[in-house]
Amino acid sequence: MEQNIKESQTPEKQPREFRGLYKHVKISVKTLDIIIVTCLVVIVLLVALDLRNPGFTITFESKGGTDVASQNQMYGELLEVPEDPTREGYEFTGWYLDSACEELWEEDEDKIQSDITLYAGWEKK
Amino acid sequence: MTNPLKKIKQVSADYKLLDARDKKRFWTDGILNNALYILMAIFVIYTASVRPNFLTLGSFANLITQVAAYLPMALGIAGCIVLTGTDLSAGRISGLTAAFAAVMLQKTDFANKMFQSLPKVTLGWILLVMLGVVLVGAIIGLVNGYFVAKFSLHPFIVTLSTQLITYGIILWFFGLNGNNGQPFSGLSKEYKEFVGGELFRLGNVAVPKYVLYAVLLVALMWFIWNKTSFGKNMFAVGSNAEAAKVSGVNVFWTTVLVHTLAGAMYGYAGFVEGVRSGSVAATTGLNAECDAIAACVIGGVSFVGGTGSISGIILGVFILRIIFVALTMLGVDSSSLYIIKGAIILCACALDMRKYLVKK
Repeated sequence: MEQNIKESQTPEKQPREFRGLYKHVKISVKTLDIIIVTCLVVIVLLVALDLRNPGFTITFESKGGTDVASQNQMYGELLEVPEDPTREGYEFTGWYLDSACEELWEEDEDKIQSDITLYAGWEKK
Repeated sequence: MTNPLKKIKQVSADYKLLDARDKKRFWTDGILNNALYILMAIFVIYTASVRPNFLTLGSFANLITQVAAYLPMALGIAGCIVLTGTDLSAGRISGLTAAFAAVMLQKTDFANKMFQSLPKVTLGWILLVMLGVVLVGAIIGLVNGYFVAKFSLHPFIVTLSTQLITYGIILWFFGLNGNNGQPFSGLSKEYKEFVGGELFRLGNVAVPKYVLYAVLLVALMWFIWNKTSFGKNMFAVGSNAEAAKVSGVNVFWTTVLVHTLAGAMYGYAGFVEGVRSGSVAATTGLNAECDAIAACVIGGVSFVGGTGSISGIILGVFILRIIFVALTMLGVDSSSLYIIKGAIILCACALDMRKYLVKK
């Protein structure tokens, strides 16, 4: 008799049994809620933390010319073209991706996709 | 189809009948069960407010292009999840087929061409190569399915081993003919045009042809899942293999075919990935299955087995992509993106379990 009562009570009290990949998982709704909320908080915090970082840094190496301030830009943006640096006896030819000044940075086309350093190109006057 | 307006009316009528405690539960359940949608909405609104070009036609074109690229693999892997399994070999299979497709469809006059005596790239040859790589994917899927079905091995074990074996084959293939592991590039114009050619323009961004192919693939998979006895058997086996067996479903063949179909999908995904990445390296397709599994779980293809829908998968891929497009636009670091991806998967699984437990 006692057995019967217990058995008839258990389906009410016990949560649904999992099937499939969760077969042996024992977890309560409350724990799940905590996990969900924690995950969301972590995601939002991470994004907020990352947004304090304003984007990719573009450093300008003027190679003997006047200094140019570095700037930060987001992914896929165009460079905010700085004022051309000057150097005694040289003419500025543009910003390059490599220090040998072979690959020109196309200011109207090239988009920022990572942290970069741009090198000033100089031609003797 | 029920009228959504009627449904809302019904829900609000039910809501009025609830007492205070149940009303509170209604809201917590509503918010928690839709947590990922809410998260997406927050990101979209925030991104749109700080980056106005997020809400342009061009960025929408970019989004559907990405969805079309990630969808085939998710459609394939979903079948395995419905069977309460998973597939860890998906990414590597698509990597292998991407490499095959790239090698077969290199420019005729490309100096570093791997096999010199291939026929000229014509539409017929492209279609043949596509069928070929789909077949390669299907064969690996067949191997997965055979071992899972025949010996009732957990797909985790079987697909982990095929993942590694496939990676070995990829590395071996990249070392052939004095290639020494260089990436395959110099893809022919015809191949690029066939997959990535412009379908139409949205804003100033071209929508590639593989978006159309993805739509066709969705239609095909919808038909298979909903209108064929194979699809119905798949759900029956997924929800209860024993019961399905008793009612006359061939569990062995259903399992084998689901994995084979999944393999074929990865094969196609690789064919597209070749063009998308421009040059195929040995790392192509690495971890791609994680995104596909995450998309499925977000879209309601439950690990409990036997539940899921094509529309859910599409929604899942969309949500995952929207979140990542938004976060990339905001300039969130790629290292944080991995952590966020992990948290999203964990969150989606917890939601999945919660919905199952709370359901009356």
